[in-house]
Amino acid sequence: MTLFLLDGLIVVGLVTLAYQAVSSRSLFRGIIHFVVFGLTMALAWARVGAPDLAMAEAAIGAGLTGALMLVAYRRLVEGRSDSPADPAPAQSRLALPIAIGSGLLVGVIGLSALFSEVEPAQAGQAVLSELQQVDLGNPITAVLLLYRGLDTLLEVAVLLTAFLAARAVAGADGGEGSATTPAPETPMVGALLAVVIPLTVLVAIHLLRAGSYEPGGAFQGGAVLAGAGVLLILSGRIAATPVAGPLIRMGLLAGLVSFMLIGLVPLLKGSPLLALPGLWAVYFIETAMMLSIAITLILLFAGGGGLKRGRNG
Amino acid sequence: MTASALALIVFLPLLAACATVAFPGRWVGLIVRTGLLPLPLLMLVPTAAVLDQNVVHLALAGHASPLGIEWRLDSLSLLMLWLNVGITVLISLHAGFTFRPDSDRGRRFWPLWLILFASMNALVLSADLFNLYVTLELVTLAAIGLIAVESKPAALRAGMRYLLLALMASLLYLLGVGLIYGQAGTLDLYLIAEQIEPGWLPVTALTLMIVGLLIKSAVFPLHAWLPAAHGNAPGPVSAILSAMVVKVSIYMIWRLWFWGAAGWDLTTAANLMGLLGAAAIVYGSLAALVQDRLKMIVAYSTVAQLGYLMLLFPLASALAFQAASYHLLSHGLAKAAMFLAAANILNSVGTDRLQRLAGVDQRLPLDVFALALGGVSILGLPPSGGFVAKWLFLEAAWQQQAWGWLILVAGGGLLAAAYLFRVLGVICLHPRKRLDKRPRRENPDLASVAALILAVGAIAAGFFSAPVLDLVSAGLPPGMTP
Repeated sequence: MTLFLLDGLIVVGLVTLAYQAVSSRSLFRGIIHFVVFGLTMALAWARVGAPDLAMAEAAIGAGLTGALMLVAYRRLVEGRSDSPADPAPAQSRLALPIAIGSGLLVGVIGLSALFSEVEPAQAGQAVLSELQQVDLGNPITAVLLLYRGLDTLLEVAVLLTAFLAARAVAGADGGEGSATTPAPETPMVGALLAVVIPLTVLVAIHLLRAGSYEPGGAFQGGAVLAGAGVLLILSGRIAATPVAGPLIRMGLLAGLVSFMLIGLVPLLKGSPLLALPGLWAVYFIETAMMLSIAITLILLFAGGGGLKRGRNG
Repeated sequence: MTASALALIVFLPLLAACATVAFPGRWVGLIVRTGLLPLPLLMLVPTAAVLDQNVVHLALAGHASPLGIEWRLDSLSLLMLWLNVGITVLISLHAGFTFRPDSDRGRRFWPLWLILFASMNALVLSADLFNLYVTLELVTLAAIGLIAVESKPAALRAGMRYLLLALMASLLYLLGVGLIYGQAGTLDLYLIAEQIEPGWLPVTALTLMIVGLLIKSAVFPLHAWLPAAHGNAPGPVSAILSAMVVKVSIYMIWRLWFWGAAGWDLTTAANLMGLLGAAAIVYGSLAALVQDRLKMIVAYSTVAQLGYLMLLFPLASALAFQAASYHLLSHGLAKAAMFLAAANILNSVGTDRLQRLAGVDQRLPLDVFALALGGVSILGLPPSGGFVAKWLFLEAAWQQQAWGWLILVAGGGLLAAAYLFRVLGVICLHPRKRLDKRPRRENPDLASVAALILAVGAIAAGFFSAPVLDLVSAGLPPGMTP
């Protein structure tokens, strides 16, 4: 009964928050509603038994996306001195058609869930039966790296492309002078960072390690690690530069390049492409991907091509 | 051997992209060449394999579907691969001047360019619905970055609009994939045909996917983003956008329609798709007729020419399939040539407003010639590749006594003639009028030569159609017989 109530609360909350996020008169309120929507969505994922998704949603969907939106909002407000303190989003003529279209889509999904006979998916069954042969307890990690490695590889490439595209859009003038003006330094900030940053890094490494036998993995770990980076930027410990140094560039590319190179090696021995040579390769690639994901997200937040020691650093 | 070659065809440009990010110094030019130039040679291996065994299956990581992802190379994929490799390498010749690898602009351009190239190669190889989604996302994101790479306000606005629509399209496609997976339990495009019977749920799923892909391919009436994006992007980017990027999503619709839903009775939907194509041809041509910027004319011409690719659905015969495949090829070459020539003209004159272009033929004879040759293929005059495609379309319509489509194909050629002759008329027919201003910037010869090679390719496609058409008819969709 309690669980039923909880589910009902989540569903009602999701719809209300989604409506508030898009219909809010104030852009700022809209962003905050979006973040809360992400967190509630994470709860929903947890309730349907998808803890991996819940973690990714909370860390990326709510946390980092929210941070990115807030930083964009700040630039929007600061960039235009004549604009009101809180610009209201323009009303779009497309709002109603899109709302109706989305409603219909939700209806389709709902109907399909109600009426389709749920058969165990072939692919899912195959994964579970194959899983005994490898020493990975988490089927999701096995799918991501062993069975559908190309998807994951290309996803990491998508992230890199997003960063490169953002750099292309920012153009020649992007980079220097991140819009995150740090708050005046108080002793509390330093003390807090000294506790929070190591803890966050620890959590990220735990998530990465846990990924092989329980929910977790490179994406979740990377997102949490990026959270630490966001904190460092906000407190002025690190700041954006237009061009990346060699270390940042290596970190940015580590995941994709190591995945590709390790994936190509089996071809030399006549094995199929992307047939990873052992569990060490899984761990290695996951670690490299976590670093790359974290650095890409931090750079996107910083709005720069590279990082340097900040003014409070 | 084939596996290694295909792996390199996808991963070599991707590795090169990473290398250009890692070493953004004076090595970029060399890295780009290493990532692009071996590709035509590498392509020989899969070509031999397809000629030998017709279809090449490759289970990635050794896990066959439904467990893993498969690559499947058949005639149509091979044609798309060749088209992508050929056009990208030729446009890169041109882009080497617009975006010098050692310049700041070049450093922003080349990684995205290589990623776009690699992801389209990965897309046409993939036989997996979700993997197709990921590759399509990669294509779109890289394309948007490239549109905005010069940071011009108009291009940024067009890129933003493209981004929003493309994301919505991706979501629609992904929703369809989810629904299909829920019923078939597999993501393999070619297994789905056996797993799924037509019912309202599979039909909904397929509709969602196709609508998403139609947005990405800018088929009328979902074309609104295309002219602005293609018309304001830098020259080489416009060329690849029109020649390849919109085609890969049409390629995906063909795959879903003729392979994934093989054996379904889709007559009504097919006619609807054909009508969309007809509307695209008429609307795109008329809109091209009233534009006053050269690049916008070429962009609207793309909207119109994409309509022909939609005629495959109602005609649905082996002849029509050959026609559509050949149209894809010759339009790709011709449109890439026209956009490159337009970019050279724009660069030299400083504007591409039509009334300012009178007399350009005297200053830039090669570029105007390339533009005209591309135009010849677009409007389907013999002996161009466009002529072969239109002729096959006419023949296919004739065979089925589909007079409506027949009139449309013939009339579409006339409309194309109208807007292309308007351009050539303004440029070439002028009473000894010379451009009074000196060229704003000189184009390097190689930039014009790249456009010319592509244009000559579009014409030459008319002479060497037999082997390509044989190849296409060796890989017809199930249910089509030559």
